[in-house]
Amino acid sequence: MIIYLLVAIVFFVGLYGIVAKKNIIKIIVGINIVGYAVNLLFILLGYKWNGIAPVMTRKIELSEFYKYSVDPLPQALVLTSIVIDLAFLAFLAALAIRLYEKYGTFDIDKIRRLKG
Amino acid sequence: MNLIIMPDIIYLGSAFVIPLLFRKDEKWAGFTASIFTFLALLVSLLLGMHILSEGRLIAFAGGWKEPLGIALMVDPLSAVFLIVTNLVAFLIVVYAITYMKKYTGTVHFYVLFMLMLAGMNGVLISMDIWNLFVFFEIASLASYILVAFGLRAEEMEAALKYTVMGFLASTFILFAMALVYGLTGTLNIPDFMNAVAGLPHTHMWFIVGLFISGFGLKMALVPFHTWLPDAHSMAPAPVSALLSGLFIKVIGFYCIIRLAANVFGEIYQIKTVLIILGVVTMVLGGIMAYGQKNIKRLFAYSSISQIGYCAIALGIGGYLGYLGALMHFIGHAFSKSLLFLNIGAIEYVKGTTESEDLKGINDQMPYTTLLSNTGMLGIAGIPPMGNFWSKLIIILAAVRAGYTGVAVLCILVAVLTLGYFLKLMRTVYYSKPEMKAEKKEAPLAMLVPMIALGFMVFFAGILLLPAIRTVTLDRAVNVMENFSYKTLHIPAQHDNAQLND
Repeated sequence: MIIYLLVAIVFFVGLYGIVAKKNIIKIIVGINIVGYAVNLLFILLGYKWNGIAPVMTRKIELSEFYKYSVDPLPQALVLTSIVIDLAFLAFLAALAIRLYEKYGTFDIDKIRRLKG
Repeated sequence: MNLIIMPDIIYLGSAFVIPLLFRKDEKWAGFTASIFTFLALLVSLLLGMHILSEGRLIAFAGGWKEPLGIALMVDPLSAVFLIVTNLVAFLIVVYAITYMKKYTGTVHFYVLFMLMLAGMNGVLISMDIWNLFVFFEIASLASYILVAFGLRAEEMEAALKYTVMGFLASTFILFAMALVYGLTGTLNIPDFMNAVAGLPHTHMWFIVGLFISGFGLKMALVPFHTWLPDAHSMAPAPVSALLSGLFIKVIGFYCIIRLAANVFGEIYQIKTVLIILGVVTMVLGGIMAYGQKNIKRLFAYSSISQIGYCAIALGIGGYLGYLGALMHFIGHAFSKSLLFLNIGAIEYVKGTTESEDLKGINDQMPYTTLLSNTGMLGIAGIPPMGNFWSKLIIILAAVRAGYTGVAVLCILVAVLTLGYFLKLMRTVYYSKPEMKAEKKEAPLAMLVPMIALGFMVFFAGILLLPAIRTVTLDRAVNVMENFSYKTLHIPAQHDNAQLND
């Protein structure tokens, strides 16, 4: 249980970064932390304590194998999710650089030409 | 080859082929893209024909059996969305060939556009939560980049806002999907629908809350709407048309129907939540649209207002509610795309979208004005057009279900919609120009897709004629009414043979 609480804390740390920080770079870091927290939660849902890798290396009863092996599906899904996060990060970093060229600042309070 | 995945293969393939072919000379990139889109339209029409005779088509990726294989399915509901999406997308791409000439790097534009369409088509055919999420992210990421395509300061600012909020939305959705997998052990949507009925209500509340906040953000329901006016008003006109006309509905509305609507029967309070969000969205969007100076921004707020109707109709439910939601989606997809393409044509000729700098458009661009009027009256709900019938159905559904106040608000906002469009007509289209400008119509290649869309706006109501309705819309509504696919569902049994190999 305590480990899920820790994941929640990581999630809220990232959320704080997105909501409260003014610097675009810090917001991007916050976004990544949020992404990691959700990925971690996903991995934990498929994990078994003292489990074995879900690969049949030796002859073992199938029921035993189901009982002890960790669930491989969340790991595969999280791999995809990490790639998506990477694409986000790359795009946001490029956008931050271009915004800096145009506005001369990373402060989102000063990047504010659109309103209404 | 299986027909279901063909639209996606066409779009992904074109996104791969276009930059290879047109690295040096980008003159024919748009033409090629429009041919690919036309092929996808043909395939989706063919799929629609199959659906008419067979009911629904199912395929499993890689030939693995359920529940291991990734289920892909086209049923009447997704067929309606698929055909409307590809039809409007084809017209938008034809329009973009001429419009995008003033931009550089159009090859990248078409690649991203095709990726976005691939993502949207993929969302429409997936019956697997994870597959849906990945296609959702492909479409979203392409749309973030397309909003920033012009690389002006304001466009990138809008894109930043949109990206950060869109990321939060996908995080919420991913969170909900992780919980669904943890609780039910399945990613297959029909399987999940069967398993979710046995969950405690608190779990369902949490999951549905996450889904509604995630997809609601994509759909721009009001507490989450702030990105939409910026993003939709700053993007190039074809992108705005696709985002406003289709994207927010395919990515937001359709996903809510697919993933969350099945629990509505279990916890009816969710419907009330949707109705409240929808009413707030509808009223606030309408009021905010009234004071806008920039015409594109006005249209964006009008989109928010109209998506509120869809949410209300979805919340009311029942045959009339779902029919109204579907019809409103179709009517609004045509008319809002038409309006954004129109304002793009005006921008192409006059170079601005501020209503103060544009006077007497009717004298200079009579055809564009006529088409704008069609679109605006279409959205406002003037009788022969599609959205009049959809609004009528939604109001009837609200009265039938006992939400008289909601019905009254729907009527008031319809009047408000007509109000701000009439104001726009008077100040922009039919006002006296300060100096006599010569007649200069938009290029014919831009006018033709707009005229086609104008006809569709005008005749969308035909879909409601009983003879046509029973074979098209009624079937889709039937899917929305009873969501369980128990016949598709094979009891979960682990395939031991494959593990033993």
